[in-house]
Amino acid sequence: MNGGNKRKRQDMALAVSDSLSNEERIVYNMIRSKENMGIWSGELKRETTIPENIFKKVLKSLEAKQLIKQVVNVQSKGRKIFMATEFQPSKEITGGDWYSDGKLDIEFIDTLKQLSLGYLSRQKVATVDMVLKFFKESGAFTVEVSNQNLEEILKTLVLDDKVSEVKSTGFDDFAGVPPGRVCYRIKSKIGGVREEKVGAMASIPCGVCPRINFCTPDGVVSPKNCVYYDKWLDF
Amino acid sequence: MVSEYGLKLAVHLITTHFGNIVANVCENLLRKGPLTLDQLIRFTELKREQVKNSLLVLVQHNCVQPFQNQQQQDAAKTEYMALFDNILHRPRFPKFLDIVSRKLDDECVELLDGLLRNGRLTLQQMADRASEGKENPVAIDVVRESLCKLLAGQYVERCPAPEPVLFPVVEETTTRKRGAKSAKIFQPPLTIEQRVLEVSVAGESIRFSLTADTGFNADRETNSDDCPMTSVEDAVKEELTPWRANFEEFMRHLRHKALIENVRTRLDEGAATILSAILDATRTAERKVKVQNSVPLSLEAIFTEVVKSENGRTMTIDRVKASLVQLGCPSRVPDDSYTIDLKNIIELARNDEVESIVLKRYGPYAYRMFRLLSKANCFLETDKIAESTLVEKKEAPRLLHGLWKDNYLHMEKLQVMASKQSRFVMWKVNKPQLWDYVLDEMYHAALNLNLRLGLEQEKDVELLSVPLDKINESKSLQKKFERRRRVRLLLGSSLMKLDDALMLFHDF
Repeated sequence: MNGGNKRKRQDMALAVSDSLSNEERIVYNMIRSKENMGIWSGELKRETTIPENIFKKVLKSLEAKQLIKQVVNVQSKGRKIFMATEFQPSKEITGGDWYSDGKLDIEFIDTLKQLSLGYLSRQKVATVDMVLKFFKESGAFTVEVSNQNLEEILKTLVLDDKVSEVKSTGFDDFAGVPPGRVCYRIKSKIGGVREEKVGAMASIPCGVCPRINFCTPDGVVSPKNCVYYDKWLDF
Repeated sequence: MVSEYGLKLAVHLITTHFGNIVANVCENLLRKGPLTLDQLIRFTELKREQVKNSLLVLVQHNCVQPFQNQQQQDAAKTEYMALFDNILHRPRFPKFLDIVSRKLDDECVELLDGLLRNGRLTLQQMADRASEGKENPVAIDVVRESLCKLLAGQYVERCPAPEPVLFPVVEETTTRKRGAKSAKIFQPPLTIEQRVLEVSVAGESIRFSLTADTGFNADRETNSDDCPMTSVEDAVKEELTPWRANFEEFMRHLRHKALIENVRTRLDEGAATILSAILDATRTAERKVKVQNSVPLSLEAIFTEVVKSENGRTMTIDRVKASLVQLGCPSRVPDDSYTIDLKNIIELARNDEVESIVLKRYGPYAYRMFRLLSKANCFLETDKIAESTLVEKKEAPRLLHGLWKDNYLHMEKLQVMASKQSRFVMWKVNKPQLWDYVLDEMYHAALNLNLRLGLEQEKDVELLSVPLDKINESKSLQKKFERRRRVRLLLGSSLMKLDDALMLFHDF
């Protein structure tokens, strides 16, 4: 299958390069050789050693012929990256499924998280498949959410300490889930909102102080003249 | 080795309790390690008499232990060693008194209070203290009875040897094979402090025995009323023996409490009841405070102990078994005994404390990445971290760098020379190192709370001399008075809470 694709691509490339000028062919072949990683215009110019004015024209012409496209690189959005139109940008370039136009789609992620939390707070425990099934049945999304995507969402909820990962025993709360399967359980069932646990340090000014390393008993920053303390003790 | 702010906090406590001169002597001992009297005089630049008196105060309050150091070739000299832990226990005295007030009667609490205030007391001194301000002096037998109760609970102990001798360490000459097995059981050598404490403490039977020399112990004393002293000589000896509070027992008690509370919030009431029963049943078998695992106990013994408690009365054996599984202890097959990994519970509690600081100080994204690294317990690459936590790839390095700069993360750069040169940045949570760092920050915070409390108490001090009805008349005075009360309450309760965290990282 892959071999077939390759042959097809090679044939197409030959046909394309016949219709191109010499400079266009050099630039196009260089871009194509980078496949789904694309190439930065600066690097392209350096490697092809074509004079600036011609180089710009060549790029415009190739774009007009729809042989190449510009893609956004998540790492450096300012840089122009070119890629042959037949390739889809790699994960390294786009940042993965959660990125659109080189930006992390936080809104989409948060919506998924909230919906997952809502569902988990109504259930005792749930597997990824169960949450996915709920999403599909609710019809909340027009976008396809894969099993893997959802697992990533649930794992971040575990890291946020809002959900815990447990293994099914097959009994009690886990009835209906085969033993050994990974399940997710909300940490607090009251309204799905967990009481924030605040440690001893985190509840006093020094625990959250960005200047603690500059603070000394008789220094410029000291507990005696500390503005954070003043605010804290302002009754 | 005590960290810088631990040391500063200890010196601050000694300064507020005993003044600058005693604190000067103590600071030198803490910073420089054990010193002779002459060395102390040189370093402190105080008069011999002042140093001597300071040492007497510190020894009396169990903050310094003298010992004969025979490790060097030249003639043995008495050296003095500061006991950092005991200094830090001083603000915990109300907690210790609270423990005893829940277990024993008021007389015992009164007696312990005397010991904590005075450091060390003989039976006669205790009786004198009990009689103060009373019409009829309290009989020594009454005091002895209270002391026996405290001894039976190991809340009080015989004072350690006044000047134990520290001999040079004899190299072990066993012919144990080198290899993985011997490496596994390697224990770091004891510090001088640990060795001195080890030789100074009397054996278990003498330590908690009121009349060890005559051969009957505290238990028998409390059980039989008609057990008279055998001779006048013994009675004199008994009256001259100094006693002190046994901090070790109080720390064990507080550690158990912290363990149980932690299990209660992490798991449930049932698991907490089981753990509490196990710890109660094996308390006397624990040889030190920081035991790694609970003492093995059979299911039957656990069940017997559980049903004794109020919460455990309704539990079935299956419920007990289920809770034991929750607590992560598979039964040890050969003898069907259960043991719980206590160190793990403490570590989870420490993680919670550190994570809570990260959340508040660095925000939810940093918190998520920190938790990923903490759970992974290995090096992870920046992009991998951003992907696993769904944090913007450009934002992740900045947040990770912030955590690294403040010593919360360990970072290493990796240069890979393959088809093209690439540089990776790897991150890790180095727990033991981080815990030491956080502990030092906590000492710093405790010192700051103490300093601010001192400042707030000095402020508006004239309010205390204003009569109450005058305060009630003036609104501004009332407001000031109320503020003073609330500030003291907040600072005091924060200190108590922070002290629990200090114990979690240092003593447990």
